[in-house]
Amino acid sequence: MEILKYIFKRILQTIPLLIIVSLISFFIIRLSPVDPLAELRLNPSVSKETLEKESHRLGLDKPIIVQYGKWAKSFIKGDLGITSNGEKVSVKLKERIPNTLLLTVVVIFLTWVVGIPLGILAALEWKTYFDRLLTVLTSIGMAIPSFFFAVLLLIFAVKTGWFPVGGLTSANFTDMGLWAQIKDIVHHLFLPVIVLFTLSLAGLQRQMRANMLDVLDSDYIRFARAKGLSEFKVIYKHALRNAVNPLITLLGFEFAGLLSGAALTEYVFQYPGLGRLILEAVLKSDINLVMASLMMGAIMLIVGNLIADILLIITDPRIRVKS
Amino acid sequence: MKRVIYAILIFVLIFGFIKACIRRDTADADLAKSTNTKSNELIFPQDQKTVTIEGIDYLQSQAPIGNFGGTFTASTIGEGPKTFNPFNTKDNISSILSEIMYDGLLTTHPVTGQPIPKLAKSFSISDDGKSYNVKLRHGIKWSDGKPITADDVVFTWREIILAGLGNTSIRDSIIIDGELPTVEKIDDYTVKFTTPKPFAPFVRMLSTPIAPKHIFESAAKKGSQYFDTFLSTNTKPEDFVTSGAFKLKEYIPAQRVVYERNPDYYIINKNGEKLPYLDRLVYLIVGDLNNEVLKFEAKELDTINLQGAKVARYKAMEPHSDFTIYNLGPNTGTLYLAMNLNNRKNDKGKFYVSPEKQIWFNDVNFRKAIDYAIDRKNMVLNIANGIGEPLFTAESLNSIFLNKDLQPYDKDLNKSRELLEKSGFYWDKKGRLFDRFKNRVEFDMLTNAGNTEREAIGVMIKQDLEDLGMKVNFKPIEFNSLVNKLVNTLDWDMIIMGFTGSPLEPNGGKNVMMSDGTLHVYNMRTEKDKNSPRYDFEKKIDELFVKGALATKFEERKKYYDEYQKIIYEEKPFIYIYSPTIIVAVRNKFKNIFPTSLGGVMHNIEEIYTEE
Repeated sequence: MEILKYIFKRILQTIPLLIIVSLISFFIIRLSPVDPLAELRLNPSVSKETLEKESHRLGLDKPIIVQYGKWAKSFIKGDLGITSNGEKVSVKLKERIPNTLLLTVVVIFLTWVVGIPLGILAALEWKTYFDRLLTVLTSIGMAIPSFFFAVLLLIFAVKTGWFPVGGLTSANFTDMGLWAQIKDIVHHLFLPVIVLFTLSLAGLQRQMRANMLDVLDSDYIRFARAKGLSEFKVIYKHALRNAVNPLITLLGFEFAGLLSGAALTEYVFQYPGLGRLILEAVLKSDINLVMASLMMGAIMLIVGNLIADILLIITDPRIRVKS
Repeated sequence: MKRVIYAILIFVLIFGFIKACIRRDTADADLAKSTNTKSNELIFPQDQKTVTIEGIDYLQSQAPIGNFGGTFTASTIGEGPKTFNPFNTKDNISSILSEIMYDGLLTTHPVTGQPIPKLAKSFSISDDGKSYNVKLRHGIKWSDGKPITADDVVFTWREIILAGLGNTSIRDSIIIDGELPTVEKIDDYTVKFTTPKPFAPFVRMLSTPIAPKHIFESAAKKGSQYFDTFLSTNTKPEDFVTSGAFKLKEYIPAQRVVYERNPDYYIINKNGEKLPYLDRLVYLIVGDLNNEVLKFEAKELDTINLQGAKVARYKAMEPHSDFTIYNLGPNTGTLYLAMNLNNRKNDKGKFYVSPEKQIWFNDVNFRKAIDYAIDRKNMVLNIANGIGEPLFTAESLNSIFLNKDLQPYDKDLNKSRELLEKSGFYWDKKGRLFDRFKNRVEFDMLTNAGNTEREAIGVMIKQDLEDLGMKVNFKPIEFNSLVNKLVNTLDWDMIIMGFTGSPLEPNGGKNVMMSDGTLHVYNMRTEKDKNSPRYDFEKKIDELFVKGALATKFEERKKYYDEYQKIIYEEKPFIYIYSPTIIVAVRNKFKNIFPTSLGGVMHNIEEIYTEE
């Protein structure tokens, strides 16, 4: 019951936040000098009437505050509006969201499954050769810019021909059997996943290692050992549960990054995800699409934090007592 | 010892890397020439002609006979199509991708540029130039088996184009003195179009796709709002009823568009077999030029357009690779430098251009002096890597209306100085230029930031003009601000911009060239200045454009448009710079490749076959 009340309170708090976020983004986009019709204006074969019709259709002939009101009204009703080309924003997003989720979920799953154990291991084997090797590798992983790494891998793909150059499926995808289709997607996903995986793995492993070292150094662990508990119990029951707390907050952020975290890599690999769609929308000042993606990002962040907080309440009795 | 070896190793690696990067990016003057020879080797097949077999009027290809099967993969840069409805397209990519599926009555001859029949069997223009009689082919069908008849043509024109559904640019361009052309059905296979006055550009409009009435009719009745979403990118491929060589098979957003062959197409080969040869046509949607290059090198693409520096690299690769490079000649773009000839005041009573600058810019000697100071050859060599040609005319170099009498010339600073002296300009001891009222000659030159080609041109022109003692403040500014200056605030001195023109129809440029045009860059008139006095040469050009549109014979029209190009050549309201050359690479396994400047590689897509 307490938790439900807490969730309800948090949701209420987000409403003014969303209004402020939407207001700021809307005004920044509209006040920027990007004119969605600039290309048309410079096209000699476009008549004045067409220009006026377009500007009316996109609502550019009204004051910004009226445009915002119109947008906000339909947003509350759940209608995301249409893009500047007249396609439904919701349909456009629906096309891309599964692709982006496929990429980010695979990456997050891999990093957590590999990163956490590696972090624990490194902490336990502190200052051994294994730990040093991991330190070197993760430093490299953190130091390489994702953009550059992605480009390097693309060149690798071109030179060897072992991997496709970007995209998600081959041209004859629909004619393949189920297994061949799965293989095709894995083949295409391999390089982008490698890029994102290397980057986030390094961060996560370092974080886990630091937390674990912190905890292992604390008095209660020393006490547990002195009490004569088995090393297994000391580490997995006492140390790990305490070390994992900060990572839960991190998980909340990972959730927020599900839809937007991979934008740069997506762009380099020509991955048909949200990143490319939104980037193009921003360049053209396609307001409804940009607003939809910004709001989506804000909501995902809020929800991610909420989930993390709830998880913390469950795992950490101290917080429960305080609230 | 070890450290020394490591250091050497790292040094060698870095050196090798840097060397690999810089080796080939140098301009190659002979390159344009050597790629040029290629296009001369092509022997074009005879034109396609109509043959009647068992009552069906086929169009017969005269190209060598090939094998059936295979896939051809091309690419489009950007976000991919916005719609597959050829009447709704507002961008180039959507037009190309939707028009693959819908043939027009006429098409453009890939070499001569004259209109020739496609879906139509034949067409004739009456002597008064007002009516167009179009005969249709007997026995040809839509992809669902229904015959293509005059009803479809009349429906397309009356209910879609003339009714103003979808993109109205065709309709806007054929309103003649406020009146629209009419269309009527003579019999099932004959249609007659009538324009209120003789209007030569109309014949090009007959290349517009024809829609199947039985599919489009209900959509057209539901009004323009519904029509805008009709046959969108979300429509199922089965729902398309088409007449083109290929039909949509699947569209995967941000990845590709796949077409499959139309098994009942009306073009046949010399054996009487139905074309196209290819089973599939694929367009990959790639985000940018670099990715396109990578995809071509990874053999995911079968053809690619090459720009500047890349041509040299591909040319070097060509002899031991599986593609051939074709030079299609100059493209339709016109890069220009323009001065603001506006001598009016804005709403606040301030001059758009300060009065002393107005005197310079309105002085034809000043404009010519600038023209002679510009080193176009140098720009082609250094900015376009030799892949381009100096431009002196308002029509692009591949236009069928190009005035070939207008001779190119080289940079000539002495001539520039002479012209400036004639108008009373003088130089001080330091070589700085002053006008006869002792004003230092100094102005701003703008272009859109981010366009590296134009930025490079700006830098070179600035240097050229500084040789004349002028002070040029070159400022690349953001594209939208530039457009705003050009069409709204009008407060600029000099700009470097480009237009894409039509190589077939000069009338398409009337918004730029005519003095009341919406894009009359060098002397834009706002609503209140609509009737302000025109310069003499502006009046002459207006007159020629009106005459050119009304004349019907090509030769007569050419005369008018030659004349207007000559006026621009002499008066220099636009100073043209150069046209880049179109270079394409196509894999050798594809045959019947006859690329042309007007048609590109894909104009005869039904004849292209693969040897594998």
